[in-house]
Amino acid sequence: MTSRITNSMLVTNLLADLQSVTGRLARTQQELSSGKQILKPSDDPFGTSRALALRADLAANRQYQNNVNDAFAWQSVTDTALGSIHDIVLRARDLVVQGASSPTGASGRQALAAEIDQLIESVKTAGNTQYAGQYVFAGAKTTTAPYAPGGADTYSGDNASLLREIGPGVHIPVNVTGAGVIGDGSTVGSLLATLRTISSDLKSNNISSLGTTDLAALDAASDNVSTVIASVGAGANRLQTALARLQQFEESSARLLSNTEDADMAKTLVDYSQQQAVYLAALKAGAQIIQPSLMDFLR
Amino acid sequence: MSSTFLGLETALRGLLAQQRAIDTTGHNISNANTPGYSRQVAELVTTPAFSDLGSGQLGTGVDVVQYQRIRDGFIDIQVRAQTMRQGYTQAQQSGLSQVEQALSEPSDTGLGALLGKYWAAWQNVTNAPDDIATRQALAQSAAALADGINALASQLNTIQAQITQNENLTLVQVNSIGSQIASLTGSIEQAMLAGQQPNDLLDKRDLLIDQLSALGNVTVATSAGAPGTLGSVDVTFGGSALVSGAAAVALGALPGGLTSGQLAGMQAVVTAINAPVTGYLTQLNALAAALASTTNIQHALGKDLSGIAGGAFFTVTASNEAATIAVDPLLLASPGLIAASTSGQPGDGSNALAIAGLQAALAVGGATIDKAYSQLVTQIGSDAQQAQAGLDNASALLDALTNRRQSVSGVSLDEEMVNLLQFQRGYQAAARALTAMDEMIDQLVNRTGRVGL
Repeated sequence: MTSRITNSMLVTNLLADLQSVTGRLARTQQELSSGKQILKPSDDPFGTSRALALRADLAANRQYQNNVNDAFAWQSVTDTALGSIHDIVLRARDLVVQGASSPTGASGRQALAAEIDQLIESVKTAGNTQYAGQYVFAGAKTTTAPYAPGGADTYSGDNASLLREIGPGVHIPVNVTGAGVIGDGSTVGSLLATLRTISSDLKSNNISSLGTTDLAALDAASDNVSTVIASVGAGANRLQTALARLQQFEESSARLLSNTEDADMAKTLVDYSQQQAVYLAALKAGAQIIQPSLMDFLR
Repeated sequence: MSSTFLGLETALRGLLAQQRAIDTTGHNISNANTPGYSRQVAELVTTPAFSDLGSGQLGTGVDVVQYQRIRDGFIDIQVRAQTMRQGYTQAQQSGLSQVEQALSEPSDTGLGALLGKYWAAWQNVTNAPDDIATRQALAQSAAALADGINALASQLNTIQAQITQNENLTLVQVNSIGSQIASLTGSIEQAMLAGQQPNDLLDKRDLLIDQLSALGNVTVATSAGAPGTLGSVDVTFGGSALVSGAAAVALGALPGGLTSGQLAGMQAVVTAINAPVTGYLTQLNALAAALASTTNIQHALGKDLSGIAGGAFFTVTASNEAATIAVDPLLLASPGLIAASTSGQPGDGSNALAIAGLQAALAVGGATIDKAYSQLVTQIGSDAQQAQAGLDNASALLDALTNRRQSVSGVSLDEEMVNLLQFQRGYQAAARALTAMDEMIDQLVNRTGRVGL
């Protein structure tokens, strides 16, 4: 059927088309200026849900990286303190060996004992090492000094293990308790008790004990410190691996998020110029269609 | 034998008829842009012939029998059905896009980001449980999260309140249109009883019915046949009678049978927000309730900096959780009360770690809190997308139908110009015929019988 075309149809159609072209132009313009292709959830509900999940992953990932970095710092402080304790133990061993040999006289042993007493203080001071105001060897009692330099040889921390989350549900203990390294004066075989025994043996000229049980006990304590240092190192390695994995994951998540959310600039720009051309053509054609009528040609 | 002046009368009728046709064309041109106007055509019919005995029937000219209104009732029905659909999708789309804007997702400032910061803050407390500043930061980010949930809930409530207000305003509009239709029907009935075709009144009434269809589902029935009801219509709105002939029935409340049009679209948005289980606000309440209860349960298992068992972390009012969730003001005032430890030791952050671990707990109907939020956003997004698609679709169809109606009833200026020329020439020719007759009669009256004068 041949349909009648009336003036209002022309105008309505032109307006509707112009509106839809302008709408698309505005949308593309918004994509260009914001750099995003998802501006509201209805633009792409599935993409939005993916973007939300990726954003949550990224936020969690950054927090895990924070945790790892915190654990790193904690462990490096611990490691330094353990290193100095190990040095002290080595020095103490030298002193014990010296004290066990007969040429060192009673007065010499007194001097050695005085140095051992100083070393004990140094061990306690090392045991009071802090990271960001927290006593690292105190277990969970991070606000109280675990040892009292110049005071009793008691350990006032606890045996709690402090955990850091370095991945979803992956917890890693970050601390070494003083009880496990330095020990308590009352625990036979602990580093502190051993050093005290050595000091008193030196003072009492107990050469036989010095050369045998004391040396053996000190060696055992030294081995223990080495083992703890090794385990801290192993923990640091684990953190290093975790950090590398987290960074890799962050990179790929960020890339996925960008793919999901961000506008493809090249494509959007091409779209934009195409839509602009269509818009101009529509305007021009509209101006020519609306203007003339039969009236212009009568008479 | 015909009268001498018959020709004069014939020419006069021609003049008058052409003039009326020109008037009609002028009326069409004037109303080319009037909404709802249907073009009119002056219907020309030959007048009864004069029986010229012996010679047959002699034509006596032309007359306008009626001004015909060019309108297709079937297209009207289609246009109204589509107008209802368009009104529905428009109201739905506008409401849902408001809901969507309230979310402001995906972004770095939406609830999703706040949730992320909240969980991270617990991890930070795990890293430094004895640090008051870190605890303070946790309390603040928890408060920011609670504020975010409150704001979203209050925006959803505002949207509902606006819709209720709009519904009432629309109802006033419906009643006003109803009474206009009724009074027009009264005038139409009278005109029709007098045997006239009230074209412009019919146009006005049809336009009003079109406007009414955008607001709700409308049925129009002609009050059939009974004498005195010529041109009368009965209109129902949302299943309730609105106009019965020349009488309007004012609606006191929203009719129960609304299935289409703007009012039904608004109701659909309210349902989408409020529906049990699947409503947006219902889901947000469930999310807030789960956040508060899981956090509070774990928090109560821990101990604060002084070794005292933890109290409530979030406070909520049951069944209105999203609007009321807040961090316990005691914790904000003294963050030392946050139960970060299990043992009560200051360096123990294991309970904070357990609360941070709730991020992975299936707390809301088999989903984590983050996932439940993301599902809510996705649901709102796809609902809004669907509404937009429906609106685009309905608008395109309505445009097409409006075009079809315009194709039948619209004024074409070119066509009117041609008509104008045609009738003008007709008028001129009739005038010429009149002049010819006049000259003939002049000859007869003034010159005949003057031989020799």
